[in-house]
Amino acid sequence: MKLEFILNDKAVSLEVDPMKRLLDILREDFGLTGTKESCGEGECGACTVLLDGKPVTSCLVNAVHAENKQVVTSEGIAQKPLGKLLIACFDETNAVQCGFCFPGFLVSSYYYLKNDGEPNLEKIKTALSGNICRCTGYQKIFDSVMMACHRKQEQEK
Amino acid sequence: MKFYKPKNLTELFQISEKIAGKKYFLAGGTDINVQIKKKMITDEPIIYINHLEELQGIRETDESIIIGSLCSYQELLNSPLIAKYLPFFRASLVNFASPLLQTMATIGGNIANGSPTADVTPLLLVLDAQIILMAKSKMRHIPLRDFFTGYKQFNLKKNEIIGGVQITKNAETGYKTFYKKVGSRKALTIAKVALAGLKNSEEYKLAVGSLNEYPRRLSKIEEYLASTNTPESVKLEELLKQEITPISDMRSDKDYRFQVCLNLLLEFIQI
Ligand SMILES: Cc1cc2nc3c(=O)[nH]c(=O)nc-3n(C[C@H](O)[C@H](O)[C@H](O)COP(=O)(O)OP(=O)(O)OC[C@H]3O[C@@H](n4cnc5c(N)ncnc54)[C@H](O)[C@@H]3O)c2cc1C
Ligand code: FES
Ligand code: FES
Repeated sequence: MKLEFILNDKAVSLEVDPMKRLLDILREDFGLTGTKESCGEGECGACTVLLDGKPVTSCLVNAVHAENKQVVTSEGIAQKPLGKLLIACFDETNAVQCGFCFPGFLVSSYYYLKNDGEPNLEKIKTALSGNICRCTGYQKIFDSVMMACHRKQEQEK
Repeated sequence: MKFYKPKNLTELFQISEKIAGKKYFLAGGTDINVQIKKKMITDEPIIYINHLEELQGIRETDESIIIGSLCSYQELLNSPLIAKYLPFFRASLVNFASPLLQTMATIGGNIANGSPTADVTPLLLVLDAQIILMAKSKMRHIPLRDFFTGYKQFNLKKNEIIGGVQITKNAETGYKTFYKKVGSRKALTIAKVALAGLKNSEEYKLAVGSLNEYPRRLSKIEEYLASTNTPESVKLEELLKQEITPISDMRSDKDYRFQVCLNLLLEFIQI
């Protein structure tokens, strides 16, 4: 099929098997290797991207499903003000170890920060519950998102 | 793998009629893509349905709420109609998979995949939901409890699809409600045991998941509870043995599942 969609705010199109996974399209056809594959079964969140603004595991999304939709990857988020804010907080908190899970956490955290942003630990935990990290103990990740929520509130004052 | 994307329901039925063997309807894809990865689906035809408007949305009639089969968990959780009329149903869905899966996974896919562990099914069973089955020129409603006939076996005719489910607006009204899903962790967990229950002064409605070949109502226990003010745990245990057939698998063993189910039942009786 001819697949047209908006990738990180740019219209793109390509000829592709309708069942090809969005994850593979991003990595192989667009060289966006920030999106990672770990489990390939929806369990770990390493492949998280925004599809029409909502976080999904791109290993379970087929090409056909992305047609005419908006896809934003971790690379796209890293260019946005709230994405930059989050990255700075992750950095200051030393939340990242090997980093493999990180693009996924960035996408889920961004979605939370943008659409809710309340500095509430329980809510943050729920928002990140689809993402798994094998290195850290999560605490610093939660701390970073909390920090970003506070800073966003300050900026909005 | 042959792939089809019908323009509308009419075209869907034309395509599906021509396929003699096994075929899959791609809704949210959260089960299908895992099955492709595990090579449980190799070259069976796939018909994409997620874009079909006829199967989308949540509507109300005078007496009922109608949920299109393509409704995702997120849509259910965000729906004002569900929040207004079926708050217990809504609250029970919060722990489905993870927020990342809730965006994609559909209610129709959950039922049709036919897993004994499907979260939505025990809830729909105690709400006495009807399932809407659609074919080329016909539509029928049957009680969901009559839909399952065995492990991944359904009362579904060739070329029928799930159109949606229908729940009466007062399905929860006046009942005390109970739902517990027991798994190894809070998010992303497949139920080892799940119990849904409703009760009022006259009747009891109970359904379990992960304890039989398909989720089902516990009719014998419902009758027993309605017939006595002082249920005995020995009797409950005896009836439960007749009603559930827990298995041992990688998630837990059968004795554990039996005991947890009994404990949940006793907890339900106390509410
Ligand atoms: C990481 C992970 C976690 C999960 N957690 C849970 C959980 O907590 N609880 C739970 O219950 N499930 C869970 N699941 C299973 C799955 O997400 C659900 O069963 C989901 O609701 C399936 O819906 P879908 O739209 O994605 O189905 P699809 O994958 O699109 O389809 C599933 C099956 O249903 C059939 N089908 C779909 N729509 C129709 C229709 N309208 N008519 C007839 N047949 C149809 C398809 O042919 C296919 O056989 C999980 C899955 C993953 C990968
Ligand atoms: S690779 Fe997609 S969720 Fe793990
Ligand atoms: S930092 Fe290594 S998996 Fe999260």
